[in-house]
Amino acid sequence: MTSGWHIKPGDKVFRPRRIRRYHLRRVLGVAAVFSAGYGNVGSSISYALGIVSLAAVGATPLALGIAGILFVFTALTYAEGSAMFPEAGGSASFARHGFNDFVSFLSGWALMLSYVVTISISAFTIPPYLGYFWAPLKESPIIGTAVSIGIMLFLMMLNLIGIKGTSILNVWSAVIDLVTRILLVLVGFVLLFNPSLLWHRIVDHWPTAENLVLGIALASIAYTGIETASQMAEETRRPEKNVPRALVLMMIAVLAIFAGISIVSLLAVSPEQLASEWARDPVAGIAANIPMAVIANIFKPLIGILAGTILLIATNAGLIGISRLAFSLGQYNLMPSVLSRVHPKFKTPYFSIIIFTVIAIAILIPGFFAPDVFANIGALYAFGSLLAFMFSHAAIISLRIRKPELPRPFKLKGNIKIMGCELPVTAVLGLLSTFTVWIIISITQPFSSCVGFIWVAVGLVIYCLYRQKRRMPLLSVSKSAAK
Amino acid sequence: MFRRKGFGEDKKLGEMEFGKILVPVSGSEIDEEAIRLACRLAKKNKSKIYVVSVITVKRALPLDAEIEPEIQKAEDILDRMERVAEEQDYEVETVLLQAREVGPSLIDEARERGVGLILMGVKYKRRLGQFSLGSIVLYILKNAPCGVILYQQYTS
Repeated sequence: MTSGWHIKPGDKVFRPRRIRRYHLRRVLGVAAVFSAGYGNVGSSISYALGIVSLAAVGATPLALGIAGILFVFTALTYAEGSAMFPEAGGSASFARHGFNDFVSFLSGWALMLSYVVTISISAFTIPPYLGYFWAPLKESPIIGTAVSIGIMLFLMMLNLIGIKGTSILNVWSAVIDLVTRILLVLVGFVLLFNPSLLWHRIVDHWPTAENLVLGIALASIAYTGIETASQMAEETRRPEKNVPRALVLMMIAVLAIFAGISIVSLLAVSPEQLASEWARDPVAGIAANIPMAVIANIFKPLIGILAGTILLIATNAGLIGISRLAFSLGQYNLMPSVLSRVHPKFKTPYFSIIIFTVIAIAILIPGFFAPDVFANIGALYAFGSLLAFMFSHAAIISLRIRKPELPRPFKLKGNIKIMGCELPVTAVLGLLSTFTVWIIISITQPFSSCVGFIWVAVGLVIYCLYRQKRRMPLLSVSKSAAK
Repeated sequence: MFRRKGFGEDKKLGEMEFGKILVPVSGSEIDEEAIRLACRLAKKNKSKIYVVSVITVKRALPLDAEIEPEIQKAEDILDRMERVAEEQDYEVETVLLQAREVGPSLIDEARERGVGLILMGVKYKRRLGQFSLGSIVLYILKNAPCGVILYQQYTS
């Protein structure tokens, strides 16, 4: 310490930066990860039920149930991937480790589409739920869309300044939402259960085979929030244990709630009403049709406030998720560094927050004029999410083949051995089913497939130009993934 | 001073023994005083001192985001604290953390390193006309797994 040596003019001192040996302090537990995931997946029932009923009518519970199996496969794949790589990026991160930069970019870009649409669709469904308090929010498309855009701009400003990290609000709103929905299902069953009515509503409104398949495809949007829980892995204490636990818990809670709500909705409202009058706020439709006025009067405002809150959280989660993802992709040279630019005062990625909010607002603009924009946004959501899920399943399978020696704290059970490689059956089935559903959406939904493919094409151009500018090969494996 | 597990019932401050001392710093003048005090307390038992600086990362960024100006600022603070300790003829270990919240990350660090004392410099602050310790100090007082000493310089 007192060696007598002092720096002289011209001396060069090399001092290793501490940041290379710093720690990330992970403080979240199972409850926080579960609530973040449930907040996103659970919020989607607030609009998914209406979108699915547009196609599947009487077979809505069946469509949601079949899509639920797909959800289980995907949640399990994410559990293995997140436990292996607890870092920001989710499916883009798995694809980087499992394949190369190019596939990682494609996966991340698809995920970005999914996040942008999450922001749009969640914000778009807040006003109808608040329609109980002021009817024009539900009835006027101009007022409803304008309020949605206002909400997005408000959240953009909030995120530009920077939200201090707290998960307590998420945990409490998830708990209150879960309890309210369980109560709604129980009350619905007690007051409305009528097997013959249920049977007639299912049989009389049974969809054509084509519509049923489309309904199943659209039902996948109900489960597309898995990615959020995976993104939380980077700040979870003991992620190898806590993230899979949270995902399994979420899987059970979401499947139970979706099954209950979809059946009760058929008892409370006719499929035609669900697909028209209550398309954007189907859970409010159940509350409004409870036969006992006293109970209905309690549930109607409660559902309005709770669904509004959880959808607001989901909108914000989408905005946070996309800015984190853009920053993460920028760090791996997959996106132009302008998206990773941090504001000197607020320390937030202001450029990506502004640009993606503007895109999310642009998606909602047709809402002012076209009444069917809601279903189209839903299909676009499915397009992006399913693409990201496909890459996740493929990456987990690829990692089993290319890097079987990697430690897997949560290894999927039920493996088949092919040429010495252990392949998880659920991931293989997940890949095949998500691919099939994605093809159906691409063929049957012209608006979403057109916007989706344009999004992919724009992304590819940005990626190729950026890599060319940086003189980097298109298909290289990033250093961190090659470790 | 707040008494906690590890603090002697009838011992004076100078007689207490601390295996490891954690000193959170944010770059203020009072932090330098806290380091000097920590060095004096540590010398007797040759205790290890951890000087910890926390970079808080906003939710819109991944936790491992490298924000260059913030890192540089934290590095400079830790360098300065090392020099203060050197003036006291004592060696400290500096730690740079990146976290969402300061309080929980410091408590986790204290727990993980098994420290016997957290020594913090506290600035005199007023909020709404009342003296305020601030949320981080209160969190640490509430959740610390060891003894906590708050050091506040006299201000007229």
